[in-house]
Amino acid sequence: MIVSFPNMGYSWPAFKTLIECMGVKVVLPDPTNREAVKIGVKYSPEFVCFPFKVTLGDFVSAIKKGADTLVMAIDCGPCRFGFYHAVQERILHDMGYKNIRVIPLDQADLLEFKWVKTLFDVTPTKNLFLYTKAVKAVQYFIKKTKYIEDISTAEGLIRCYERNKGDTTRVVKELLIKLDKTNKINELRKFKSVITNDFKKIDIDRSRDPLKVALSGEIHITLESHDNLDIRRKLGEMGVQLYQNLSVYDWVIHKFHLNFHRKWLEYLARPYMPMDIGGEAVWVIGEYIDRARSGFDGFIHAYPFTCMPEISARTILTNTLYKKYNLPIIFFSFDEHAAESGFRTRLEAFVDLIQGRRKQKRQKKEIKLEKKSKEPSYEVHGGSLYNSIFQFIQAG
Amino acid sequence: MQSKKTTNQRELKHLKSALKSYRYDKKSKIKVGIPRALHFYRFFPFWKKLLEELGCELILSPPTYKQIVEEGAFQGFGELCLPVKVYYGHILYLMREYPELDYIFVPRYVSERVEGYFCPKFLSLPDVIRTLPNIPKILTFTINVKENPISNSIISLAKTLGKGQREALQAYEKAKKYHKQYQDFLRKGTPVGYALKLVEKDKPFKMLKKKTPKNIKFLLLGHGYNIFDTYVNLDFQKKLTRHGVDVLTIENLPEILFKEPVIINKQFRPYWLHEDEILAAIRYYLVQGRKEIDGVIFLISFACGPDSLIAELIMRDMKVIRLPFLQIIMDEHTGEAGLLTRIESFVEMIKRKKRKLDEMKEKQDLKIFEEA
Ligand code: SF4
Ligand code: SF4
Repeated sequence: MIVSFPNMGYSWPAFKTLIECMGVKVVLPDPTNREAVKIGVKYSPEFVCFPFKVTLGDFVSAIKKGADTLVMAIDCGPCRFGFYHAVQERILHDMGYKNIRVIPLDQADLLEFKWVKTLFDVTPTKNLFLYTKAVKAVQYFIKKTKYIEDISTAEGLIRCYERNKGDTTRVVKELLIKLDKTNKINELRKFKSVITNDFKKIDIDRSRDPLKVALSGEIHITLESHDNLDIRRKLGEMGVQLYQNLSVYDWVIHKFHLNFHRKWLEYLARPYMPMDIGGEAVWVIGEYIDRARSGFDGFIHAYPFTCMPEISARTILTNTLYKKYNLPIIFFSFDEHAAESGFRTRLEAFVDLIQGRRKQKRQKKEIKLEKKSKEPSYEVHGGSLYNSIFQFIQAG
Repeated sequence: MQSKKTTNQRELKHLKSALKSYRYDKKSKIKVGIPRALHFYRFFPFWKKLLEELGCELILSPPTYKQIVEEGAFQGFGELCLPVKVYYGHILYLMREYPELDYIFVPRYVSERVEGYFCPKFLSLPDVIRTLPNIPKILTFTINVKENPISNSIISLAKTLGKGQREALQAYEKAKKYHKQYQDFLRKGTPVGYALKLVEKDKPFKMLKKKTPKNIKFLLLGHGYNIFDTYVNLDFQKKLTRHGVDVLTIENLPEILFKEPVIINKQFRPYWLHEDEILAAIRYYLVQGRKEIDGVIFLISFACGPDSLIAELIMRDMKVIRLPFLQIIMDEHTGEAGLLTRIESFVEMIKRKKRKLDEMKEKQDLKIFEEA
């Protein structure tokens, strides 16, 4: 049995560990590319949301590399996500890949431990050691997702300072490969210093004064750089410091009911949307309020075209919250027709706009007042790593 | 003498208080506007009974017409599905035409079954509607059996209307009973549009005259607001009847079909309630009912999330059992002419097929006859 799973940004080393620790072979699909998307689009229903098409493309690519069992996360929530694997399996069978299994990884509530069953499903040999294996798998998985989150936090912070374009991107790539190769617990424990050291090697220009922008939106789109036209890199190279709360770690911890940051965001969002309606809708709203209070310069909401929950969130953001908090916001809906050129122009225009706004504010010296606003805000940017990167940037 | 006066006085007092309470009663009729869109087509009888029992006066927006769609589409941005835009339109209509409304009724339907959900847009409907500019107060209740029994939500609804727990529960019982009657009435084969009209006018449920059954029978799938909103779907059903087709909708099918959960594959069961019904109906016609209908039409609105996936499954099933299947996607720009030609050619195709089948059958009969 050879297992595979769809791409989602930097998260592959973590999922790979999760399955490899169970003693199963893993192949990775090619990094999402035009060809894969094309195949996905061709065989998917026309009006389904974009992640469906992309992940289908990834699956085909994985099957061609020899995978026979595919793992797809599901969430029996209100959204389309829970239906993905069922329809995808059907489509794959009809395409002629008759022996492919698509296994759902139920993540509706991780404390129900249904996912353990999935883990056992993918292992061919069943014996008593399975439990210890599963514990190890989960432990490594969570550690690695945490490091991946750290890497992407640091990336967002540092890229806007880099002197040589592309340095950060290179470091990120190398770090992911290093992380993938780190499979001993004591090495894994020390991995944080590897991350900080590698980032500290980047040659940075400390005199710059980047804009602070938050990126939020549907998880697959905001994490997978091919789908969002590499928005993170583009923004960084335009001189924007990027903050993104969302990551696989963030999500997994949330599903274990331990993510207090998300609880805080839910609390902020409650007057506008009292419940989770799927996708990231509630947290996008909460994050918008949080970011506005802590003096950000801009906010980006990215989601797949026709994504149901995010559209509800967007309606609320534009109609009420923007008027109330006045934090500049831009919406991007991505699908296979998203074009590079128009996208770049819109992004540049947005960056210009917030630049101008900041200048105005500085003249009025409003910015100092804003920082000490009375409303509480909850600063989580990746904990100690955030601090060490921040000190590195500031230490001349 | 003395006593007479006092009785008079007493009577007067009594009358006065009666008059006062009458006035009070008249004033206290709370005016509630209900938009004729989205789940109106599914739950209206229930709401009507419930709210009227709780002392509300209901005001319905008219059937959709052009301006409503246009206004709604203007208010909602491009990626929203058509039904939600139409819903906006109805809300705006109510706000414009009835400024005296105390409330607009926008319920939140989360789930009616422990393992199910409505579409995410239903979940956030009151929140989204609340963001419209100058919106009057919204009357809402949350149906979420995952967390609360329905009666709880109704009690809190009654509280906002100034009614107590007992009245709330009584109203709920009555509404439930009425809705059940309504559903049974539909299951006898009554078209939903007609039944809703009866409900609206407070008429008893009386069957339409049985028409002579037609030669061709279609199953019409889709959400109620797509199928029964005659403006949005360009009076689709009438067009079909004119072509000599009998139409069945999900509401007309016997309850027993929906009892057993649908299984798509082993590890998974679908969770959208309405899609569940669609799949259950189709499941019946895939096997036992294969001979009972001649074709299936699925009306989908553009940008509808759930339908985009379900339609794919159904299409693939239909291909396997070779039942003619037509999928029509509507948005606010759907043209009448295009739709008409599509229906016509679909019906023609089926008629041709039927004729062929009949001929073949005749031939076979003949053969058997000859052999004998
Ligand atoms: S959150 Fe959006 S993109 Fe994701 S499955 Fe739901 S509708 Fe599709
Ligand atoms: S089910 Fe489809 S048509 Fe209905 S509200 Fe949801 S997305 Fe819109």
